[in-house]
Amino acid sequence: MAMAMDETPVIDMNMVGMEFSTYSNSTTTSVEEETYWTTSCPPVLGWSDVFTAGDADLYGLMESMIHETDSGSPLTSAESRSNLEMAISMDEEEGKGLRLVHLLMEAAEALTGNRELARVILVRLKELASPTDGTNMERLAAYFSDALSGLLEHGAHTKNVGAGGRGGGEHRPADVIAAFQLLQDMSPYVKFGHFTANQAILEAVAQERRIHILDYDIMEGIQWASLMQALVTRKEGPPLPHLRITALSRGGSVGRRCIGTVQETGRRLVAFAASIGLPLSFHQCKLDSDEGFRPLSVKLARGEALIVNCMLHLPHFSHRAPASVASFLSGAETLNPRLITLVEEEVKVAGDGQFAGRFMDTLHHYSALYDSLEAGFPMHGRARALVEKVFLGPRIAGSLARIYQMEVQAEPNRSWWEWLGSRGLMPVRFSFANHCQANLLLGLFNDGYRVEQLSHNRLGIGWKSRRLLTASIWTSSQQE
Amino acid sequence: MVYEEDQQMMMQTSSNSIYNTITTTTDSAFLDDVILPDFSPSQAFEPTRKRKSADDPAPKPAQARKGDGRNRSLVAKKQTGGKKKPSRSHGSNSSCGNGKDGRWAEQLLNPCAAAIAAGNAARVQHLLIVLRELGSATGDANHRLALLGLRALTHHICPTPNTTVSAYTFASAEPRFFQKSLLKFYELSPWFIFPNTIANFSILQVLAEAKNYSRNLHILDIGVSHGVQWPTLLEALSKQPGGPPPLVRITVMAPATDEAEIDQTPFAVGPPGHRFSASLLSFAKTLNINLRINYIENHPLQNLDAQVIDGSELENLIVSAQFRLHSLSHKAPDDRTRVLKLIRGLNPKAVILSENNADCGGDFPTGQARRVEFMWKFLDSTSAAFKGRECEERQVVEGEAGRALVSRRWMNEGMGRWCERMREVGFAGEGLGEEVVDAARVLLRKYDGNWEMRVGEDDGGGGCVGIWWKGLPVSFCSLWKLAPVID
Repeated sequence: MAMAMDETPVIDMNMVGMEFSTYSNSTTTSVEEETYWTTSCPPVLGWSDVFTAGDADLYGLMESMIHETDSGSPLTSAESRSNLEMAISMDEEEGKGLRLVHLLMEAAEALTGNRELARVILVRLKELASPTDGTNMERLAAYFSDALSGLLEHGAHTKNVGAGGRGGGEHRPADVIAAFQLLQDMSPYVKFGHFTANQAILEAVAQERRIHILDYDIMEGIQWASLMQALVTRKEGPPLPHLRITALSRGGSVGRRCIGTVQETGRRLVAFAASIGLPLSFHQCKLDSDEGFRPLSVKLARGEALIVNCMLHLPHFSHRAPASVASFLSGAETLNPRLITLVEEEVKVAGDGQFAGRFMDTLHHYSALYDSLEAGFPMHGRARALVEKVFLGPRIAGSLARIYQMEVQAEPNRSWWEWLGSRGLMPVRFSFANHCQANLLLGLFNDGYRVEQLSHNRLGIGWKSRRLLTASIWTSSQQE
Repeated sequence: MVYEEDQQMMMQTSSNSIYNTITTTTDSAFLDDVILPDFSPSQAFEPTRKRKSADDPAPKPAQARKGDGRNRSLVAKKQTGGKKKPSRSHGSNSSCGNGKDGRWAEQLLNPCAAAIAAGNAARVQHLLIVLRELGSATGDANHRLALLGLRALTHHICPTPNTTVSAYTFASAEPRFFQKSLLKFYELSPWFIFPNTIANFSILQVLAEAKNYSRNLHILDIGVSHGVQWPTLLEALSKQPGGPPPLVRITVMAPATDEAEIDQTPFAVGPPGHRFSASLLSFAKTLNINLRINYIENHPLQNLDAQVIDGSELENLIVSAQFRLHSLSHKAPDDRTRVLKLIRGLNPKAVILSENNADCGGDFPTGQARRVEFMWKFLDSTSAAFKGRECEERQVVEGEAGRALVSRRWMNEGMGRWCERMREVGFAGEGLGEEVVDAARVLLRKYDGNWEMRVGEDDGGGGCVGIWWKGLPVSFCSLWKLAPVID
């Protein structure tokens, strides 16, 4: 079966352009919808003229620092003396980026030690870095120091988690849409998640007439527009299968707003499906007030192939509580799905588990993200600033609050794919075509991006040597 | 006298010496307020009674510090019923910013010293970068300590003349500005004037007890006061019931200048050619005191003898050794005990020993941590003294003190060890008179509430008076006489 899948036509990169042309020519859609679903090609400037960022290459900076601190072999006294003398002379020449990293590092260390020192360092960082102008590193440092200030003042209270350091988590809807579109254009992260999952889904349901997708976090539904396109144009298998999408909506305090958003997404998806002639039914399923998932609340139909889709940490997604994710994945497992697609942020379990160590890892992660955005579009500072303000800043605050809480609760850091594997779900092999598609996608962006085949059911995407997202696919052990 | 007026006065004087100002002014209040705090003639000094026991009731209200559990000294016992200034708080808790958490500069400097010793270049570089960002010549004591400490560490790694701790030193200051700065510091902080005042009171106590009061008085000045200490003594001598001694001699042991400047004891060396004798002599003249001042230059303390100081059997010799002897090597060779023996050999009527009350460091990180703690006390108390004002006078005094961070001659010992050494060479501790202690206490009240005085604590019964800043020992002052020879 795996072999057969490999021969299934790939969504391929035509999608990128085709989606645009097909959809924008459609007269049934509004301008707003276009804004949502237009996954246009990256602007012409870009990967051809790769900039070597020099001092601003903050990812390289982080890399060198991490390797420096790793070296622990004993030195002779002469060696160590000359090293120390070098420590002074290097010190004289260092650029602002390095100074900021060192200050952040010390502030994180002091946060769990000498809080007065942390406060003094954060005052200095505020003088040096602003989130609205300056280099990449300066803006990144501004968000990190804001997040640390929040932790210093309030600790990791839940109300701070996920809220932006500057101006809270609330942004004007127009800003959010614009930022999302920019993020799509500037980086392959969102598309990688969607395309890789969709390709696996297409391969898994190649012969199916009825397909049911259970989606944990549907957001704007953009993932399904491209899948629908592919289903309509697929050459093998039954023509025009019936697609059902059940989107989960959050309960609790954010629930009401979320239900509205999901309804809106559904309306848009249904309209889009109608425009391309695909039969689609859309449902909503509410999570508990504590965001727990009840499998019985999902209406299943006989003879449909169930797909469970779980996009967790794409750069524009808001954070979901681990308990909710666990409840969803374990509940979905009982529904005997044909395929589970999971995309998540790569977490490094290495380090001593102390806050400072995890902090540096988080800084490393975001420096890679910032760097990748800048390398592709060095001239689009204002665009990046918007993406940072709307998505990345709040995520940084949330990430730091969580690792701070982990320090308090001594929680282990674990990946969801490990968790799924440990529960006895069966890995599904990524097709060669899917792997190629990911490579093709990255080819459209800066050549600092890399795809890694981590195991036969796991693909990673990273910037230089830092892995940022992984996609993995699974099936229930009850299937065949 | 308030600071601004004082400054105006300094500005107005056209002479190049503050002592000229002192001696030419007829306004004795100026003297009292600027350099003679609490040592005014109205506080007539009659050293008759000695402290009898620890339970001796206090004649005057003492500064009470109820919260200080560690203060089990004489002073503490005398505090019941004392008048307490409510604003004063004891320094060893963190709530008022004095605890370890408030002293953040040391949290960077000490790990950096340890990383240097361990040869961990990456860690050293990290901490140096952070220190460079936070260090500043202005701001609170931590920022200043970070700057001075950073320079000291840099100098330790790479000892070149370009990496000195401070550009501001006494030796490089313009002489008139040097004097102005020194006087300002004496006015605002008890750091030196407190031990100096106790020393002067002790001299008067010794003279009053001497049978042959009519002899000449010879003071051997091994100190760092650059003469600031002596006008008060001269004035008090002139007011003695029997009049001043027929001749008062002050022999100044100037620090030997054979060492590289960076290595000289902080506070000891003034601008080249600076002498305080002229102004002090004319001041003595106005008091009708017959004063003679000798400078002994380029003569190492290790070669001290009666001939060098031109001593005589027929005079009352009092040695005032203040904040200088810690620069002597204390082991291999033990110059410290050697010089104390030489002092013993001069057969002085009394010896006054004031020193930093701090332990000497072991390896580099330990020693540096202690030097840094000393600097913390200095900078923090100086901040309080200047009430946070940034001024050049403060900078030059702090720059001079900062040299302690790199000086190889900065080898402190605790008070207990000093007392031991004194006893070893044949001195016996002499209790300070009650009046001396009370006057010292009154003097200290003029300064910041974080200062405190502790008497007779941890000195093995030496009767030393210690001065503490925020619960940390700073210095002590002690009086010694020749131990009676036991047959």
